Amino acid sequence: MSKRISIIVLAAVVLLSLIGCGKPPEAEMQKANASFDAAKAAEAEQYVPDMYRAAMDSLNAGMALKQEQDSKFALFRSYGKAKNLFIKADSLAGVATVEAAAEKERVKAQVSDMLATAKAAIDSASTALDKAPRGKGSKAEIELMKNDLTAAQAAYDDAMNDFNMGKYLQARTKVQAVIDRAGKVSADIEAAKARKWK
Amino acid sequence: MSLVKVKRAKMYALLVVPGFLALMMFWERQDPPEAHLKSARAALDSAAAKGALRYAEEGYREAERTMKNGWMEMAHQKGRVAIFRDYKVADSLLSVAVSKANSAGQQAFGKKRDLETQALSEIANLRSELSNWREALDGSLMNFRAENYWSTAELGLQVSDRLIREGEYLAAMEAIADSKDSLRQLSHLLAEYSNDEARQLSHWRTWVQETVAWSRSTGGYAVIVDKSAHKAYLIKGGKQFHQYECEVGYNSARQKAFAGDGATPEGKYHVVNAHNGSKYYRALMLDYPNAADRRRFQENKSKGIISRHARIGKYIEIHGGGGRNEDWTDGCVALTNQEMDHLMRYATAGTPVTIVRRTDNWP
Repeated sequence: MSKRISIIVLAAVVLLSLIGCGKPPEAEMQKANASFDAAKAAEAEQYVPDMYRAAMDSLNAGMALKQEQDSKFALFRSYGKAKNLFIKADSLAGVATVEAAAEKERVKAQVSDMLATAKAAIDSASTALDKAPRGKGSKAEIELMKNDLTAAQAAYDDAMNDFNMGKYLQARTKVQAVIDRAGKVSADIEAAKARKWK
Repeated sequence: MSLVKVKRAKMYALLVVPGFLALMMFWERQDPPEAHLKSARAALDSAAAKGALRYAEEGYREAERTMKNGWMEMAHQKGRVAIFRDYKVADSLLSVAVSKANSAGQQAFGKKRDLETQALSEIANLRSELSNWREALDGSLMNFRAENYWSTAELGLQVSDRLIREGEYLAAMEAIADSKDSLRQLSHLLAEYSNDEARQLSHWRTWVQETVAWSRSTGGYAVIVDKSAHKAYLIKGGKQFHQYECEVGYNSARQKAFAGDGATPEGKYHVVNAHNGSKYYRALMLDYPNAADRRRFQENKSKGIISRHARIGKYIEIHGGGGRNEDWTDGCVALTNQEMDHLMRYATAGTPVTIVRRTDNWP
């Protein structure tokens, strides 16, 4: 009788050691990895670094836990915590992807607005110059202001080029200089008109 | 063996084997290097804050990989039976990760500092160059193409200044390089301009000599205008009789090519009439365009240098209304009203007026 019990216990131990207490969360890990790659592709590391790092930490912690469980005797393996971490990493990476895209879009929209403002400022200054009275004494000044506007237009084109290449932060800095320059030309036109172009 | 001995052996086995197993399972020879893992993560955060992702990305990524490997190795060891656990490799990997992250941080900091120093030095250099060119341009006749290059370079300076303030050193240096390129073009343009002047200097010299010789031989009055010096000289008997400050066309760093180009013509002219009812006080009308001007105008038209719709222009005068301290006329020569009164006491119809861009042999 006792021999039979021993055989049953031994068989149960062998079975448990072969099957283990849990299945590795491969699917969850793959999903988390895919989400993290998507966050990387969305430039989350640049636009939402804290979220990106949180997702990466969860993913790494999940992989470490999985690794730890993999190294145990099958009988003692438990992937519950690792699985939860992969699910968390997947969710964090998903949020980081969405937030990165939104932040990128926000900066893009901001620079796009600034580019439109710069274009309007150049056009407005250009129109004011075209309408400026061309008496003796004003022509040289008008030509010099035209030069300033030509330079502003070239800098605008450069900023637009950066914008089209996705370098929004650089484009933003450059376009601000263009707005200032075009504004200065407009102010100079008004000042010159008041001074002597009457 | 007696039954008692067998039972005793079984009892020992029951005590020793589980004890041995428990020892194997739970006897930790060393602690997992959790502190090193924490240090590695902190070192990576610090490196990222120093700009390693931008300025030392390779080193940063390497540190990141090493930390991950160390972490996984630590996890692997943690999963083993306690007695077999060995964290040496994990410990070593995590220590290396800390060291690599620190190194990436230092590299980024150093590179950023070097770039900043370089950018600041280059911008100071550009500012100085711009200032020198401004002085050169202010001291010469207006040249709009040169002004255009200067203006482009100056806007580049503003852009790079902003980029430096935002820590965008590489982009700032690109903007500085573009500005310097504009200044190089400005330099080439002015070199061409100087070469052109050097080629024409002999003509201007001859015109001045001929005018002085005429004055000497006849004892009559003549006027020589030096556009670059902004001077008009009244000569009598071949000698300087009086000198006036004058202003010229707003675009006078060139020979007059067509009506409305803002350039004061260069050549040998005569006063055709003197009148008091000018818009600019009093005036001496010159015989522009003369035969040489007409010939050059036609040549320029046929070569396509100027538009075929261009007109040659007329009504070039020496008139009053000057004293504005800038070149503002459409091509005339302007004196102050007081000096115009003085000049008109001596210059009358027929008085030779020679206008040159530069003279090195007069007075």
